[in-house]
Amino acid sequence: MATLAPGVKTGPYHAVLDHIHPEPTSFIRKYIFSIDHKVIGYQYMITGGLFFLIAGLLAELIRTQLLSPNGAIVTAATYNQIYSMHGSAMIWMVIIPLVTGGFGNFVMPLQIGARDVAFPWLNLAAFWMFPVAGIILFASFLWGAPDAGWTEYPPVSLQGPPGTSMWCAAIFLIGISSTLTGINFIVTIYKMRAPGMTLTRMPLFVWGQFGTAGLSFIATTALAGALLALFLERTFGVPFYDPKHGGSPILWQHMFWFYSHPAVYIMILPVFGIISEVLPTFSRKPVFGYKMIAFSTVAIALLGFSVWAHHMFTSGMVPWLQLPFMIITMVIAVPTGIKIFSWMATLWGGSIHWTTPMLFATGFLITFTCGGLTGFFLAAVPLDYHEHGTYFVVAHLHYVLYGGSVMGLFAGIYYWWPKMTGRMYNEVLGYWHFWLTFIAFNGTFMPMHWLGLLGMPRRVALYDPQFQFWNVFATISSYVLAGSMLIFIYNFAMSFRTGKVAGPNPWGARTLEWMISSPPPYYNYKKIPAVLATPYDFGNPLPYIGLEAAAGAEEATPTAESHPVPTY
Amino acid sequence: MAQRVVKPRTNLGPGFWPVTAFIVVISAIMAYFTLTSPWPIGLVPAGEPAPATDALFRFLGAVGGAIFNIVTIYTIYFGIVFAKPKNAGPNDIGVQIHDAPVLEFWWTAIPTILIVVLAIYSTKIWLDIQNTQGDVLTVEAISYQYGYQFRYPNLAQPVSGEMHLPLNTPTTIHVTSRDVIHGFWIPEMRIKADMVPGLINTLRVTPTVAGRYPIICTEFCGVGHGAMKTMLVVQSQQDFSKWFAQQGGAQSTGSGGGGIPLASGSVAAGTALFGQKCSACHSTGPFTQKIVGPGLGQIFNDPAHAKLVNGTDPTTQDVANLIKNGYQGDIGTMPSAAMNAISNKDIANLVAYLASLSKK
Repeated sequence: MATLAPGVKTGPYHAVLDHIHPEPTSFIRKYIFSIDHKVIGYQYMITGGLFFLIAGLLAELIRTQLLSPNGAIVTAATYNQIYSMHGSAMIWMVIIPLVTGGFGNFVMPLQIGARDVAFPWLNLAAFWMFPVAGIILFASFLWGAPDAGWTEYPPVSLQGPPGTSMWCAAIFLIGISSTLTGINFIVTIYKMRAPGMTLTRMPLFVWGQFGTAGLSFIATTALAGALLALFLERTFGVPFYDPKHGGSPILWQHMFWFYSHPAVYIMILPVFGIISEVLPTFSRKPVFGYKMIAFSTVAIALLGFSVWAHHMFTSGMVPWLQLPFMIITMVIAVPTGIKIFSWMATLWGGSIHWTTPMLFATGFLITFTCGGLTGFFLAAVPLDYHEHGTYFVVAHLHYVLYGGSVMGLFAGIYYWWPKMTGRMYNEVLGYWHFWLTFIAFNGTFMPMHWLGLLGMPRRVALYDPQFQFWNVFATISSYVLAGSMLIFIYNFAMSFRTGKVAGPNPWGARTLEWMISSPPPYYNYKKIPAVLATPYDFGNPLPYIGLEAAAGAEEATPTAESHPVPTY
Repeated sequence: MAQRVVKPRTNLGPGFWPVTAFIVVISAIMAYFTLTSPWPIGLVPAGEPAPATDALFRFLGAVGGAIFNIVTIYTIYFGIVFAKPKNAGPNDIGVQIHDAPVLEFWWTAIPTILIVVLAIYSTKIWLDIQNTQGDVLTVEAISYQYGYQFRYPNLAQPVSGEMHLPLNTPTTIHVTSRDVIHGFWIPEMRIKADMVPGLINTLRVTPTVAGRYPIICTEFCGVGHGAMKTMLVVQSQQDFSKWFAQQGGAQSTGSGGGGIPLASGSVAAGTALFGQKCSACHSTGPFTQKIVGPGLGQIFNDPAHAKLVNGTDPTTQDVANLIKNGYQGDIGTMPSAAMNAISNKDIANLVAYLASLSKK
């Protein structure tokens, strides 16, 4: 018990905390097959970042093709493969691994004051499924990539090129990885918080990871079943989905969306967490309505399970069933609205530091709200009859996934970059990145709203000539969007060489990860700290005791009312 | 450690109320233009149920625009007036406020009420659409890779190419597919259904404006997906009849299949045909002896059958029409004669056979 602060009650688990394993010395154990959550976090981010560039290039190919109503560069068959791979890769190989495996792995154990995740070897296994799945997915181009969109509805996906079966295998594999990470994070968050860190003292990013871990753990099994059945039908002709042999194409849609709607929340809940860290830090204020934000995360995760059929309003289910799915979908706006309003209230009365992560977080507020509102237009069944399967849906989902998840990811990368690398980035280049991204993003996806409403269906290699102007507009904006990525890459490449040394806490943030050196040492915390309160009270001394003094951290003295409560 | 100075703040911020007034005014102006717009989504409403859908779009547009203004304008405003002053020290902090239960109550309650209103209004519009009158004319739209065919009552052959509908005629469109899932979207009518193989989806529409409107596939269906579209021609009853006659059909948009000649029906041929085409779903027992559909042994003298055909005892012509047009209703779905590949001659044989069963 010697390493714990006096007066802190502990459970049996902490008896072993005096013992710190030595850091591995071999290159392979240190950088390739490491079981250190931070190294695995870096690995996820590098791999996911590479896949992001590939999938982004595919997006630029899509936009380039749509410069002309008759298709500017490739045949329809190739175009179908390109957009299908863009969607599949962005969702399964970029956003989900980055928000959970990347940021979750690096930040979450640091924030709860743990030395690692609960199952480090499982973490290692989960990570290595990711590049393997990515390679299988992208290798499918060699045999003919899947061409029926990221949703791969049968029966048309049964006719797809051979790569469609590789797609099944790749997504199945990344699904296992995601499930394992989910189990790992649930156990880590539930059992390994520092003494005194009750559930309602957890940083909100940890709440986001908690919700997402539950979703990944439960929902992914439905996708695995659907994929296995599709694979069996394609390979051995087992008739699950083909109505010619007695199957049901609607079965796939139910199983697919039972996963893929919660997957939307898998992609956004951790980002909600990032926003909830960035806004209070740079407003120098406690996050407004901590409990409401935390509980609304859980509410969204639970409600997210019962809305999947809103993707299927035109598919031909029993008509009256459309109503409950519509209403529950609309109800999700209540917890989401609570979050948005709480974040706005966090800005109110702050002393706002306009750093790059703060810009991305506020940009997120605006673009994500726009995506949420168009979600309403799609949830209302009569309007969905008009909008389903059009560019309106494309606009909506990019406002949620790019304007939401990716903007939030950028906020997170800029925010934790000093912690991950120990160096600062160039703030001016960061501003350029943000403003170019924000303007070009809206220029790319805003026109798609009216393109869809006016009659342009999605997933087409050709379109009517009257839609050309706004398609060209979107394409040129998308080139600017791609250009802004070059600034981002240049900024971080230069940061390694010339970046100013960050120190442990360049932002003056208050969550636990900023209390240790940057980058964090192998063992994270030599002493496991004890936690006295939520981390966001800028007016109070830091609520931690038992930390090794780092970076002018002011230590609190425990008082009667802030006596730490063990979490187990 | 020096105690940090907590910034005192007695008002909501400089210019808070003018900004709030600006939000109200701009939202009201936007709402006015949205609510009075004749074509809120930019397309002419060319038939029922488009006006109902547009009304919902206007309402959502007005409410959504206001919410967007609230979030965006306040966020930008807070970002400007609460930016850290240049002369502020490193320890400058914001107002240390954790929550405001009254505020949180209202921003939970008001959206909840809005959602209740919206859900009720959407449900009302949804009911309108579900209850849109159809059935005066019944057309089947059958898709394949990559095109559409349309089957009209009394036409022996399906029509390829463009779909024709007469003005102001409540029309039911049954859609299905021969191969993969396709979409059937008429933007100007705001209606859409997936065309799913093995499943019949139903759309109801009453065209009110003559013209040519695109019919577009909205579910990815293969390499030809982008080019898979045709036109809907909405024309006057006279022009429609002319077109219909050219297709080789007698003009009858009434009950559909009005004049199937039944006199020459052969019981023997009907018996054989029943075994091939019907017995998978229908037994020859009483009504309650179901396989998929009801038993047909007593079809002409069993009162349970009467509700299929408007509450009166079914006539042979009623049964012929049912076989011709198919059935979709509270006891299930039966494909039409066209989908079952049954000719008018076959129908006559089947009716003769069914009549012979009922006489026993």
